[in-house]
Amino acid sequence: MKTQNKIKKVSLLVVLIIGALVSLFPFYWAAIGATNTSGSMFSKPPTLIPGSMLMENIRNLDESIGISRVMFNSLFIATTYTILALFICTMAAYAFAKFQFPGRNVIFTIFLLSMMVPYHATIIPLFKMMAALNWLNTYQAVILPNLAYPFAIFLMRQNLLAFPTSLIEAARIDGAGEWKIFFRIVLPSMKPALAATAIFLFLYQWNSFLWPLIALSTTDMYTFPVALSTLFGLSRIDYGQVMAGVTIATIPIIIFFLLLQRQFISGMLGSAVK
Amino acid sequence: MKKWWSATGLVAASAMMLAGCSGTDGGNGSSGDGEGGKTTLTAWAWNVNVGALNDAMEMYQEENPDVEIQVEDLGRLDVYDKLSTGLAAGGVGLPDIVLVEDDRIGGYATAFPDGFVNLSDMGFDDNADLFPSFKQELAQVDGSYYAMPFDAGPGGMFYRRGLFEQAGVNADEIETWDDFLEAGKKIKEETGAFAMPLDKFKDDPTFRMMLNQLGTYYFDENGNIDLTSDEAVMAMEKLIEFEEAELIKEVDGWNGVVSATVDNSVAAIPFGAWYYGTIIDQAADSSGDWGVFLLPAFEEGGNRASNLGGSSWMIPAGGENEEAAYEFLEYFSTTPEVQLVAMQDYGLFPSLNSTYEEELFTSEDEFFGGQKIWELFANQMADVETPYYTEDYAIGLDEAIKAQADAFNGMDPAEALKAAAERLAERTDREINN
Amino acid sequence: MRSKTLVPYMFVAPAVILFSIFMAYPIIYSFILSFQSGQGSNMEFTGLDNFARLFSDDIFITALKNTFILLIIQVPIMIFLALIIANLLNSALLKFKGVFRVSFFLPAVTSLVAYSIIFSIMLMNDGVVNQFITAIGLDSIPWLSDPFWAKASLIIAMTWRWVGYNMVIFLAGLQNIPEELYEAASMDGASKIRQFFSITIPNLKPVILFTVILSTIGTLQLFDEPFVLTKGGPSDATLTIGMYLYQTGFRFFDFGYASTIAYVIVILIAIMTFIQFKVTGDQE
Repeated sequence: MKTQNKIKKVSLLVVLIIGALVSLFPFYWAAIGATNTSGSMFSKPPTLIPGSMLMENIRNLDESIGISRVMFNSLFIATTYTILALFICTMAAYAFAKFQFPGRNVIFTIFLLSMMVPYHATIIPLFKMMAALNWLNTYQAVILPNLAYPFAIFLMRQNLLAFPTSLIEAARIDGAGEWKIFFRIVLPSMKPALAATAIFLFLYQWNSFLWPLIALSTTDMYTFPVALSTLFGLSRIDYGQVMAGVTIATIPIIIFFLLLQRQFISGMLGSAVK
Repeated sequence: MKKWWSATGLVAASAMMLAGCSGTDGGNGSSGDGEGGKTTLTAWAWNVNVGALNDAMEMYQEENPDVEIQVEDLGRLDVYDKLSTGLAAGGVGLPDIVLVEDDRIGGYATAFPDGFVNLSDMGFDDNADLFPSFKQELAQVDGSYYAMPFDAGPGGMFYRRGLFEQAGVNADEIETWDDFLEAGKKIKEETGAFAMPLDKFKDDPTFRMMLNQLGTYYFDENGNIDLTSDEAVMAMEKLIEFEEAELIKEVDGWNGVVSATVDNSVAAIPFGAWYYGTIIDQAADSSGDWGVFLLPAFEEGGNRASNLGGSSWMIPAGGENEEAAYEFLEYFSTTPEVQLVAMQDYGLFPSLNSTYEEELFTSEDEFFGGQKIWELFANQMADVETPYYTEDYAIGLDEAIKAQADAFNGMDPAEALKAAAERLAERTDREINN
Repeated sequence: MRSKTLVPYMFVAPAVILFSIFMAYPIIYSFILSFQSGQGSNMEFTGLDNFARLFSDDIFITALKNTFILLIIQVPIMIFLALIIANLLNSALLKFKGVFRVSFFLPAVTSLVAYSIIFSIMLMNDGVVNQFITAIGLDSIPWLSDPFWAKASLIIAMTWRWVGYNMVIFLAGLQNIPEELYEAASMDGASKIRQFFSITIPNLKPVILFTVILSTIGTLQLFDEPFVLTKGGPSDATLTIGMYLYQTGFRFFDFGYASTIAYVIVILIAIMTFIQFKVTGDQE
């Protein structure tokens, strides 16, 4: 019985390891590309060990796009966006999940429906609008349009639905104000969901490409994906540089994820609510 | 209630803060003349063209010290997404100067008739004769110039000397596609290398070069669909002959062609002169192993001149600096020294005829085994036929690629082209020839 | 008491205000555009012509078929995989959970630029993937050139990219299931698999519904994968509605017809979502 369990556990582990390797391989391969010469991406058999070109590739990349400036732009935009959007979306989600009010379903449905409009269709009017506001090539042109992100509202609402309404009512009877209930009682127990939502918001903004490309127009304002895209000319691509850029652009999200993922398990220990 | 206001206030304050942190205002195209009468031109271009434009401005400033340029480096396809958006939004947020590939000029100028400055009105016609005839035609829409010719892509077969020698094939003796087919078979047998690479299902550069060589294209000069012409069928059948002899290496996209170039798995690559830059960058350790010969003819003594790619400058209308932009571009396009710098430092093959008299064009290239490759490219320029792209080029390309994919997946080439021509007629309301 | 009824409005106000400013205008604008047709700036009002044109547009119908094939095959596979992985990673027995979570989530962080270049090089005929496949004795696969394999490539690439993303949503959702439920079930002798189907899935229903709707939306708008991997080919075998929309607008300059396609996507998603809500019976 015990050995059988052990076999089960080991085979489970093997499956997970294979899955993880499949997930990770392209990243490993890109990182290797960052340490080799441009043409080595195509060598046969494939190059799978690090080379010695990393510093040179990074130097070239820095010359092409200015890594620190681009990194600052991306970090500033993604962080500001994540904080503001998390706040705005969670508030709205709380109203949708825990209150009955006229217009609730209509507003919620409109949010949902807007998520269904393909973003390519809204680019041109949004651009027109930003031009009229004289906001082209500014940070707010990139940050503001999607602050009320239906995805985040929806995700938070689904998680808030599971929050016991009786606790809110009990707090009301105790005389707590609505804001106190929201900040002191509801939010603390939503940490796993908030962490997940924050990750998605950050990820969305960090990787966002088309709108920043259209809205930003000078090199000193570019975000990482837009700057990386400038490395693709008609016929000359330095793959070493590109792979260095791809790898560097991935690091902040990994850090962000590692910082927040602890929250996923915190709920298991049982918060005050349960 | 109070807290609600403070929360709203927080959001508003952060928005305000953001507004404060805005970057330089380069969005509205022209940053005006500013203090001291300085004019700053804005431009969108990709890759090496950015450097060429900046260098040209430095040369220009010797005579015109009060003009500056700010060039934004963008991905090639990104330029078009931004340009299309700005034009569709009514001509906002556009630069003073934009680089556009020749095959897209007609599409933009026709779809947005008020979107670009008519260069003929500014007097460009006087300069027209400085360029080869096909470049002239490509820059015009309905008889007016909307673009200033810049670089071109005279065609050639970039080949590996080592593979050719190993198989005992002499590149100089290849005159027709059939010669090349035989040579390819020999090379494959001796070395295992394919004759040429092709992304069979996603792009058709070789087919386009063949069409151009045969004096036709997707459309003819009247704008009729020409995919069913004898020439088009002949070209596609020739490609299929290579396929049946297993001489075409299937590659994926641009990266695939580069890959095949680097790993010595193809003996030749038919492309425009601009591919030189890719070869010396990516296959840096193969110096001396390369050579170029003209595209083989379809029959002995037939036309071997062809062109693939090339781009020109356009001036979006409505900017404050139209005049200044025109003057600078005119200098850029018609000054041999500028074109020479673009060629020497950035590998951009000029289309300005007088540039070809420069010494560079008779010099030997070490990477290419001492061959006078630039002379070979330059000498065919006058004979290149005009590819009639029209404003429906993007749809034509879409259908031609499908025809090629069908042919490579086993359909009869003539039938595949006929079906494509019919779909194209349906989508563009154009007539089919024959 | 008046302020009491205002409370929910205060909570939604910031979102609603921002939404009305930045989303409502573009959405209405493109809706109006969907009744116009032409090229570039030469647009004219054509009423419902665009909608009629859709029905006789073979390319659109092909794109529609492709999109639905991808939807029907890819979404269930991905959701199921994500559920299983989330469940395994949530189990208290496993070590190095953090490492696994990061590993599975990582694909979601690739940007379009990175994704396009890495995958197209890896999936080449003689690329890394095929070299591996031939090394273990199988025939190399025409990943991007064969109509069948091109679709399969898209499905694999999408699954690779989004499994971890959905897994994270599930992991967050799993934290809301009281541990006592599992404890009670264990005491009753229910196996882990049994618990998965009788406790985990029913309790995660709102979250599963959410991911299914999200994936449906994502697939019906699908653009990135076909754009970077197959360009819609060979011969439109992987052309999706989302990509056709992009081509029609940004390549062929018919922004009116492109908007019409956008609204067809909206209608389709709305119908699918409605069905999904009905089938699963959302609690509220």
